[in-house]
Amino acid sequence: MYNIIVCFKQILDIDQMKIDEKTQEPITKNLPYRIEDLSKNAIEEAVRIKEKHGGKVIGITYGGDQASLAMKEALAMGVDEGIIIKGCKGHDPEATASVLAKKISQLQYDIIIMGNASADSYSGLVPGKVARKLNIPILGNAIKLEMVDKKVRITRSIEDKNVVLETDLPALVTVEQEINEPRLPPLIQIMAAGRKPTKVEEISPDRVTTTVVLSNKAPKSDRKRIIFEDIDKGVMEVVKVLKGEVR
Amino acid sequence: MKAMVFSEKDDLAGQILTMFRGKFSMDLFTTSQSDLTNYGADNVFQIKGENAFVDNLSDLIKENFRSGGYDLILIGSSVLGRELASVLSEDLGFEAKTEIMSLELKDGSVITERFFFGGKSIIKEESKSKIFTILPGLVDPVPVDSKSNVKELNLDKQSKIRLVEAIEKPKGNVNLEKADIIVSVGRGLGKKEGLSLVQQLADLLHGEIGGSRPVCLDYHWLSEERQVGLSGKRVKPKIYIALGISGQVQHIAGMRGSKTVIAVNRDKNAPIFNECDYGIVGDLYAVVPKIIEAMKK
Repeated sequence: MYNIIVCFKQILDIDQMKIDEKTQEPITKNLPYRIEDLSKNAIEEAVRIKEKHGGKVIGITYGGDQASLAMKEALAMGVDEGIIIKGCKGHDPEATASVLAKKISQLQYDIIIMGNASADSYSGLVPGKVARKLNIPILGNAIKLEMVDKKVRITRSIEDKNVVLETDLPALVTVEQEINEPRLPPLIQIMAAGRKPTKVEEISPDRVTTTVVLSNKAPKSDRKRIIFEDIDKGVMEVVKVLKGEVR
Repeated sequence: MKAMVFSEKDDLAGQILTMFRGKFSMDLFTTSQSDLTNYGADNVFQIKGENAFVDNLSDLIKENFRSGGYDLILIGSSVLGRELASVLSEDLGFEAKTEIMSLELKDGSVITERFFFGGKSIIKEESKSKIFTILPGLVDPVPVDSKSNVKELNLDKQSKIRLVEAIEKPKGNVNLEKADIIVSVGRGLGKKEGLSLVQQLADLLHGEIGGSRPVCLDYHWLSEERQVGLSGKRVKPKIYIALGISGQVQHIAGMRGSKTVIAVNRDKNAPIFNECDYGIVGDLYAVVPKIIEAMKK
């Protein structure tokens, strides 16, 4: 039996994001939200630990007004209880880590699971900061996770090798995409999710970022964009280019 | 300004020291035991000791940061490097910016640029950050004539993490970052057997084969070291040929430095056609044999 906490993030659907031709800025208006990619892997892994060993999964998200949607999805995937912390004002690892650690420190836990970095801002700063605030070890970039008694053992994927690491619980583990395939919950679980307990809380961060955004624009692309729908014409042109470069 | 540089990787250490030479006086801290004394660091601190993990390493770096009178920390953006940045940011109480591609000082603040929205944009920020991880591959390491002093540091603090086993990833002799021509495949390849056709083209062009994340990590058609993208290799060949790659932002971010991009995709609305110089709308199994045939003429 383990007390499992999973922290997840809701993000704008960046795959549907378009760039404004005039300003070169990403258009964020009217974009749908989704649970962040690695956050989904984190939820899946938390639920799998519970299914294998028993226990309870508490899901925590620090978000905006749409956060309840993400929480519902997490509950449908198998999270038992939800905590939504309101008041997130955008990308701020300082505030996020502060708020998450404050909440987690009020709870019973053996293991905390998070995505290694989020697909939108990709700072990867929150897990390490939370682990340090809670004074627990962090095992990062897990592609495999096993609970062994009062220990957690992971396979960590780094550039040139995989290393199997172990530490005593409580601990914080971050996951990579390869760790699992997040489930698509069946309808009956989606219906049941509405009946699971969800708390909405407000916690103010001890620290906020000093960051001021100066600009956020699409990288300059000077590509020629010569597109051929006629394969033979296209091949002729491409081969000309290739022959110019390859000797 | 005095900067503390950390990387466990020789190439990243060389890149950072080259990139910031003249701007800061720098000391390199590394667990690598290679000779990195000719990249312009004043001192190279070689960290000795088994089982260097994020916790005991960050303790050591923290102590040396305080005693060494440094103003900021520049870290190679590897898995360990990014993790160290997050832990150090908490321990030292400094903000951090990860995976940055530029850094400028301005009246006590720092202006940095990094990819955002999964590589769709570049965000330029001003902050009071003092810890940075530097995106790999921004510059080539260039040696200097002078030599750094070498000092040894002992990692005597125990980690709470235990190493059970290390499994080397299968190592080929692929160096995508250095390749002049890359033929890259995506999900549109459909089956692993399709690689033989792609290999023919790559051989003919004296190029290397690369792949998108799903092809390398989900389907394992190619080894991980061939993955091009934000979380894989960032490449800058003269010619990048994208076959059956839709062009997700994470992939584009890894090949944006290519000189000429050629794309082949069945879907004419695939985002890759916005990021290519020459595009052919068609099945790669129809197009590639024609290219091979015409190249042989």
